Amino acid sequence: MIDRPRPRPLDAAVVLSILGLIALGLITLARVGLPPSAGMDSQIVRQSVFALVGVCLFVLMSYSDYRALGMIAWVLFAISIVGLTLVLFFGVTRFGAQRWFLLGPVQFQPSELVKFTEIIVLARYFAKYQGEPIKFRVFAVSALIPALPIGLTLLQPDFGTAMIFLFVWFGIAFIAGARLLHLGAVGLLSVSAAPVAWFLMKPYMRERVVTFFDPTIDPLGAGYNVLQARIAVGSGGMWGRGGAGATQSQLEFLRVRDTDFIFAVIAEHLGFVGSMIVLSLFGVIFAYALTVAIRATDDFGRFMAAGVLVLLVFEVFVSIGMNVGIAPVTGITLPLMSSGGSSLVVTLIALGAVVSISLHRGLPMFNPPTRVGLPARARRIAAGIHERA
Amino acid sequence: MSKSQESSLRGTGKPASKSRRSLLIGGVAVGGVAALAGRLWQLQVTQGSEFAGQAEANRTRSIAVPPVRGLIFDRGGTQLVRNVPVFSIWATPADIAEDDAQRVSTVLAELIDGVPDEIELAISLGRSDPAEPIRVARDVARETALVVAERSLELPGIEIRDSTKREYSKGETFGAIVGFTGPIPAERAAEYARRGVRFDEDIGLAGVEKSFQSTFRGEDGRRLIEVDALGSEVRELAVTQPKSGKNIYLTIDADLQERATELLQRFLGDHGAGVAIILDPNNGDVLTMVSYPSFNNQPFAEGISSEEFERLASDPRRPLINHTISGLYPPGSTYKLVAAAGALEENVAEPSTSVECAGHLILPSGWVFYDWLLTGHGTVNLHRAISESCNVYFYNISGGNPYTEFKGLGERRLAQFGRSFGFGKPTGIDLPNEVAGVVPDHQWKTRNLDAPWVTGDTYQAAIGQGLVQATPLQLVNMYAAIGNGGTLFKPRIVDRIEDANGEVLEVPPVEDLGKVAVSATNMSLIGRGLVEAVNGSQGTGSRAKTSVVTMAGKTGTAEYSGPKDADGNPPSHAWFVGYAPADSPRIAFVVLIKDGGEGSFAAAPVARDLVELYFTGSVPPMRYVPLKAPNRASG
Repeated sequence: MIDRPRPRPLDAAVVLSILGLIALGLITLARVGLPPSAGMDSQIVRQSVFALVGVCLFVLMSYSDYRALGMIAWVLFAISIVGLTLVLFFGVTRFGAQRWFLLGPVQFQPSELVKFTEIIVLARYFAKYQGEPIKFRVFAVSALIPALPIGLTLLQPDFGTAMIFLFVWFGIAFIAGARLLHLGAVGLLSVSAAPVAWFLMKPYMRERVVTFFDPTIDPLGAGYNVLQARIAVGSGGMWGRGGAGATQSQLEFLRVRDTDFIFAVIAEHLGFVGSMIVLSLFGVIFAYALTVAIRATDDFGRFMAAGVLVLLVFEVFVSIGMNVGIAPVTGITLPLMSSGGSSLVVTLIALGAVVSISLHRGLPMFNPPTRVGLPARARRIAAGIHERA
Repeated sequence: MSKSQESSLRGTGKPASKSRRSLLIGGVAVGGVAALAGRLWQLQVTQGSEFAGQAEANRTRSIAVPPVRGLIFDRGGTQLVRNVPVFSIWATPADIAEDDAQRVSTVLAELIDGVPDEIELAISLGRSDPAEPIRVARDVARETALVVAERSLELPGIEIRDSTKREYSKGETFGAIVGFTGPIPAERAAEYARRGVRFDEDIGLAGVEKSFQSTFRGEDGRRLIEVDALGSEVRELAVTQPKSGKNIYLTIDADLQERATELLQRFLGDHGAGVAIILDPNNGDVLTMVSYPSFNNQPFAEGISSEEFERLASDPRRPLINHTISGLYPPGSTYKLVAAAGALEENVAEPSTSVECAGHLILPSGWVFYDWLLTGHGTVNLHRAISESCNVYFYNISGGNPYTEFKGLGERRLAQFGRSFGFGKPTGIDLPNEVAGVVPDHQWKTRNLDAPWVTGDTYQAAIGQGLVQATPLQLVNMYAAIGNGGTLFKPRIVDRIEDANGEVLEVPPVEDLGKVAVSATNMSLIGRGLVEAVNGSQGTGSRAKTSVVTMAGKTGTAEYSGPKDADGNPPSHAWFVGYAPADSPRIAFVVLIKDGGEGSFAAAPVARDLVELYFTGSVPPMRYVPLKAPNRASG
């Protein structure tokens, strides 16, 4: 029996993929962002700092016992929800949405954190009902967990993130064995809610939906970014246009190049080959998370890994999808690559948790103690909470 | 920790089902990645070159480089127009979002003191070819241009360019000939668009600027540039230089034109109106063409104020019209030579044929046709009839005499000779708005007045009254033909066309409109009458006589229907037409004093000054009383 976490080749592969994507993101930001001389305003500088912090937390998380997260799940969720509530009152508004706290030179986006705490709480919640068919009551109560952050993010407004909360819940409930009848009912409800959603949408959201279906309706207005991104991606061709030839990015036809449309920048510079490299790296991460979920020795770990998988798949699909015109523009960041500290750090912690699940597979909880972990007293308390549940 | 506690953490319930569901999630992930990969293959590989083309179209722009408009000189090379550098403001519609156009227009209008709606309209018109910049302001002050440049961030798609505007010299004397440029009138926009002229260009709207628009314009150059998303130029990729417009040298002599204007002005003052033309009878060159009063073309080129325009438009002398080619007047006695030439040519009358003039002729119908000399001229032959301008003689040879049974030329042949001398159709001079005039015959009268032709109409037509209408240019051209032995030339206004380097590209040919159907013998008979009219003791044109040169000429007093003067005479225009020197003419000329009374009093002295001016090169002293303002009885 293995007595302490020891990385295996698969773990090493995912770490390399993560680092590869971060590096590619940084290189891209260096091409399209402000130069390092701009200090903390420079995307490359800021992102490098966050990457450093994020990688440290990733390592810390990997070697910590993920089960500790389960014990403090509700606390973490509560804290993140408080943050999400406060941001509505004290946050700064950018691009028409109130999403960020201003903390000195950096901004913090509580909704990014909620993405992860929601996963922990849902994993914990469903893990409690292991071995039983999920009753409707249990399923209905589980829906209250995403309902809160969804409501709060819609107030910002941030439709895309609200969709993430919904999908993550749906995904974890699915893995946890929710009845297909219940899930089907939710699906049906969502579809029938679409007209109501249209009615509730802000005009800019409607524009985005309309231009998703036909960006040429308003090529200089709402459809501009979609069209230009498509041109940037397409013009990359097989091998890419290299540094000087990437005119869509370099002459700024493409906008929001550091976040929403960062993939288009990469695709223009590196072509189909580069796009495939990015997709493959994400593919390695997906495969890893999936393997971890399948091989997890406990439901909490399984659900958490699956939740992270759903989160990343959704983010990657929508983010790249809106760059290539198969998903509407929602402002969802490309994990690990888009400029944005909260997203990068939280994604890294979440991935760290997945690695932790892999590393701690089959290990008894906190015994022997991991090298890195909670102090003994906290561990005992946490264990007590867990046992009560 | 007990075994059961551990198992509760591990989760032992239906792992197989959960793995299946996990695999299903994995399947969704694979599906999503595959969809993205497929889409990327489609965009980047299948349609890659298409998008590369679109990216190229994004980054490159071909913009027109307007050519420099050709210049205008007089025949001696005196420059009549210059292109002066100005700052203009241009908008590229492609760079202005449709819902932003109103804001941009408002901001810009405030800066340049313009009208927001006009700017917005121009931008929306430009959307048919959105990448091509359009001009929204023609001439802004340097300071204004700097302010606009400073606020460029608020004004996407707006740029400042160096361009030129027309600055005319000698506008007071050349305005009507040179004309002016200005924006394309809305109703002609489509026509110019077909000819490749952009709608925001200035085009010739009057005078030579108008009739030689395509000569002056030149050809656009193109610049291929790389732009960024804001439309700012990054670098130039390729350039084709524009071809400058061609320069035109007029046949007009600027010096002569100015002095001739001076002559008219000192006689007419600020109440009279008149015309003076000098032609070269040997080739039709127009040396001087004055329509007084006229307008200065410079304010028009800059966009004339409505008050100024109103002042010009409401002046009863109608200074906006070039009366030399657009004014129609009865030619009066100057037209008698048509009847004379016709009668000689058709053997209706011999030079010696004489007619008894009692001062009037009464038709059996009771209509009385007077001579200008109520006491009568007595027995007159052709020679005296011309020099003394005897009406009754011309009544006889044109409409015949019912008492002596003298057969006249008749209306048909009279009209035919009128047309032969170039009347009834435009001369074809290269200036806009030339009118045709009227050579009346029975067909014309039936068609236009729905009345039968009577002998009295023939009488009237023979003395250039009644229905006959001619422009001063047509009249002087007729006398040029008499002077040169019978060739009618198309009057030339352009002497030569040169390129910007002074290379002569084209010399508009001397165009012969046809030989007048009058023999040289008969022409010289008429010519002798004209010499006598000026130099003879009884000649009506004696006030034009000068020691400088022997001229041939004819007075005309063209009555027109209008308020009568205090003595009950109808108002009349005073004419004097002729050529000099009489034996081998170097010039033909016409002077028209509108509302000037008798030709011998009002027009002849001015014509003498004009001829002396030409042959001596200086303005002769004032030897007569200027024209008085007409004293008309009310009603």
